[in-house]
Amino acid sequence: MNKSIVTGISAMQQGRQFCRTCNNHCSISEHKTYCPYCGSRISPRIKNSQQKTWALLLTAIVFIFPANLYPITYLLKNSTLYSDTIYSGIVSLIDSDMLGIAIIVFVASILVPILKIIALISILVIVHFKWQVSPKKQLIAFTVVDWIGRWSILDLFVISIMVAVFDRGHFLSVYPGIAATSFTVVVITTLFAAESFDTRLIWDVNTDAK
Amino acid sequence: MNTIICNHCDMVLQQPSLTSGDVAKCTRCHRVVYKANLFKPNKMFALAITALMLSIPAYTFPLISIHLLGVTESTNLLLGAMMMVDIAPVVSFVILFCAVVAPLLLSVCIIFSSTCMMLNKRPMLLNYVLKLTSALRHWSMLEVYLISLMVAAFKLMNYADLSFDCGFYFFISLLIINMTMLSEYNNTKYWEYFHNE
Repeated sequence: MNKSIVTGISAMQQGRQFCRTCNNHCSISEHKTYCPYCGSRISPRIKNSQQKTWALLLTAIVFIFPANLYPITYLLKNSTLYSDTIYSGIVSLIDSDMLGIAIIVFVASILVPILKIIALISILVIVHFKWQVSPKKQLIAFTVVDWIGRWSILDLFVISIMVAVFDRGHFLSVYPGIAATSFTVVVITTLFAAESFDTRLIWDVNTDAK
Repeated sequence: MNTIICNHCDMVLQQPSLTSGDVAKCTRCHRVVYKANLFKPNKMFALAITALMLSIPAYTFPLISIHLLGVTESTNLLLGAMMMVDIAPVVSFVILFCAVVAPLLLSVCIIFSSTCMMLNKRPMLLNYVLKLTSALRHWSMLEVYLISLMVAAFKLMNYADLSFDCGFYFFISLLIINMTMLSEYNNTKYWEYFHNE
């Protein structure tokens, strides 16, 4: 393709940019807004990546409180209304001897969102203050967080199945609570936060790290 | 000499000559940068068509049913997502998108791009379809739905007798086809095709 481009150093240092959509690369100075191959928007790094990620993470932090404190499902049983938060749902699972399921739900709906927010914030802080932390470790943390993040949607699917099964029930019915919507916001914002963070920023801080 | 750029760390690398089945990893961040799988558009087409056909029974046939005090109630995937539209519209929309819309659209997109490739046509629409495909890949969450179904089944066992219906088996087949399709899908090959007129 281009002869002047050498291997071993980052593309941005050589004035090249990589298109994340079509995997081609082109010169930064010649193509300022659009990729010449696929026509999608292009920039050497995702524009305002850190600000976008911060904004989405802050939204997630705000919504994680109602998601955990308010009831996520209501159970109507013999005309009495029982409410369940995420935590009390897990406790009742442990009480009914389903430790495995309780662990899955705990990991998916409490541990993963919190871990994801903490991990992304620490990577953002490290990148912002240019601390010398092994970039490879940061990328591993990011990958784990990115992959596991989709699993937090599990609780929402469970609610949808429970609601549908008990819909016409005269003895039992289940309704989603306020926390269900808040939890959805947490999941979606953290998913978008991971997507808007540009992992290449980790290496820009220490270009010669191995 | 062809160069490729790692999309995880922006390192410039030499494009290796790989035999089929090999993957190339970045020398700096050790993430996969290039896959050399044997790519057949007709295989992708077959997988996507199968996925699309399996979607109909998987989404509309009853997944699980419970027997409670002589009453049998069953539910399917579509109904489950639609049920909450008026109580919690955001939740309902997200579930519908991740479990139904994204996998369906993904199959349609792959059918379109593979057909273009087999007929050796390059319409402008292909550009948008390829972009849509790469955006949708992360939002198809059928495997998460399967685990959710298991969790829900265990929870429901507390209240009533429970049985898996035929929709469940269609759903499993859909999941297997969908996962195969996603792992076989190679974004780069389609773009290479699109640019090489």
